[in-house]
Amino acid sequence: MLLDFARLGAWRVALILIAGLVGAYLLLPILLIVALSFGSSQWLQFPPPGWTLRWYEALFDDPDWLASFLTSFQIAAVVTVLSVLIGLMASFGLTRGTFRGRAALRALFLTPMILPVVVLAVALYAFFLRLHLNGTFLGFVLAHLVIALPFSIIAISNALERFDRDIETAAIVCGASPLEAKIRVTLPGIRLGLISAAIFSFLASWDEVVIAIFMASPDLQTLPVRIFGTLRQDLSPVIAAVSTLLIALTAGLMALAAFFRKDARS
Amino acid sequence: MTVTDLTATERPHTTSSAPRRRGRGLAPVLPALVLVSFVFVIPVLALLLRSVLEPEPGLQNYAAFFASTTYLKVLGNTFLVAGTVTVVTVLLGFPVAWFLAIAPSVWSRLLFAIVILSMWTNLLARTYAWMVLLQRTGIINRTLMNLGLISEPLPLINNLVGVTIGMTYIMLPFMILPLHATIKAMDPAIFQAAALCGASRWQAFTRVMLPLTGSGIAAGALMVFVMSLGYFITPALLGGTANMMLAELIAQLVQSLLDWGLAGAAALVLLVITLAIYMIQLRFFGFGETRS
Repeated sequence: MLLDFARLGAWRVALILIAGLVGAYLLLPILLIVALSFGSSQWLQFPPPGWTLRWYEALFDDPDWLASFLTSFQIAAVVTVLSVLIGLMASFGLTRGTFRGRAALRALFLTPMILPVVVLAVALYAFFLRLHLNGTFLGFVLAHLVIALPFSIIAISNALERFDRDIETAAIVCGASPLEAKIRVTLPGIRLGLISAAIFSFLASWDEVVIAIFMASPDLQTLPVRIFGTLRQDLSPVIAAVSTLLIALTAGLMALAAFFRKDARS
Repeated sequence: MTVTDLTATERPHTTSSAPRRRGRGLAPVLPALVLVSFVFVIPVLALLLRSVLEPEPGLQNYAAFFASTTYLKVLGNTFLVAGTVTVVTVLLGFPVAWFLAIAPSVWSRLLFAIVILSMWTNLLARTYAWMVLLQRTGIINRTLMNLGLISEPLPLINNLVGVTIGMTYIMLPFMILPLHATIKAMDPAIFQAAALCGASRWQAFTRVMLPLTGSGIAAGALMVFVMSLGYFITPALLGGTANMMLAELIAQLVQSLLDWGLAGAAALVLLVITLAIYMIQLRFFGFGETRS
């Protein structure tokens, strides 16, 4: 009765209404940004009086925006590689190891995900001041790596737990060395876990802003830090253009993830 | 676990490494352990230590925090916003999750894609959208004035109203997705049974559906509540200086006032509340299943 859409009766109307309104609430701000980024009004009128590409031109003409875009990308790329590597090793240890305290260690590795990020940001700011790491590439990478690692460990551990280890054993029985078996049998077997670890690690670093605000220097800023700084001054449509590019990136990654999921099913 | 137990569960190919068996698997964990120790554990502990060591050893920072009406008001704001956001996300999220679980596939897939898209869209982009929408001369105020519903722009931004609207927007997917999983897992036969026993729709809802989804609602609510408590960006951009929340206070104590002792104390307060709520969640609902 309550789980059969066709037999919900009058309740169905209420459900459709609320779902529709919430869907609009979730979608409209995103569409609005995209529209405003092509709108000619500097004062963010809606509907825009005309259409233009000048905010995108302003964006691409500004070396600071490009620099921060590049900075974000480089940091996220390095973080992704390290996060998957370290996460892969840790996941092997955590899922197959026999040492004591594995559960506690796993909980420790996941804690940065649940801790209020502002606490970590302030703590790292103080700690990195002493090590002269604030405003450095290495500082950004280390800080973002701690945020990204839990996502890697969750994705890869889950994949490893689902992976039938007898296949790896079979490879060894057939004469492969344990390392060879891991590289040629186990890694391809858990590739979906590795891919989602990479995607989530990249996004965790790419979207990270609170720590980056504390970590940034005038010379080295990630894209979110520059957006945050600009937003505090004015609501320029250039931000709408940046945001639209980020939304496009998100939609692209979603499509990619959907593609791999379909790939996994077939 | 004894050594014999271990041997019994070992796979054939690992018996060759018998002498190293006890600590097996520790080495690959070390890089992660070193990283998390130096970039997480030690810095956070150092910050918390400063709360009892600076400017001099003692608990004066905590005394100052809890004696100040300003800081208590910040704490009150934080709980007020987090509480409101939690209640609203439950009220809006539950019907959406329900719709997603049972609606015809075209519509549920479309709505599902919207939920995921909004969740993955850059946080600053979404907050920017709300800054544009909620301004005095923003689209919402202008539309309401054009419709003649209001004569003066409503104060929707730089106050707790703006923060609550923006935060609800950001937290909704975190409520919808776990609830959707909970409702989807329910057995329709239960409701057939309820109908056979003479239950009306309302009775089936309050006495069957709500109790069965209760743990999902509670888990989602705790997660939204605790995430809202520590949020920084949205309150910083949509809130006003007069209505600060705890995360913003911590940032400001460090950035403007350089008061590390008090910042450490405020951080510990936030941390203790957060961890306490996670303990409740862990104890009653398990952990992790709803997150990934």
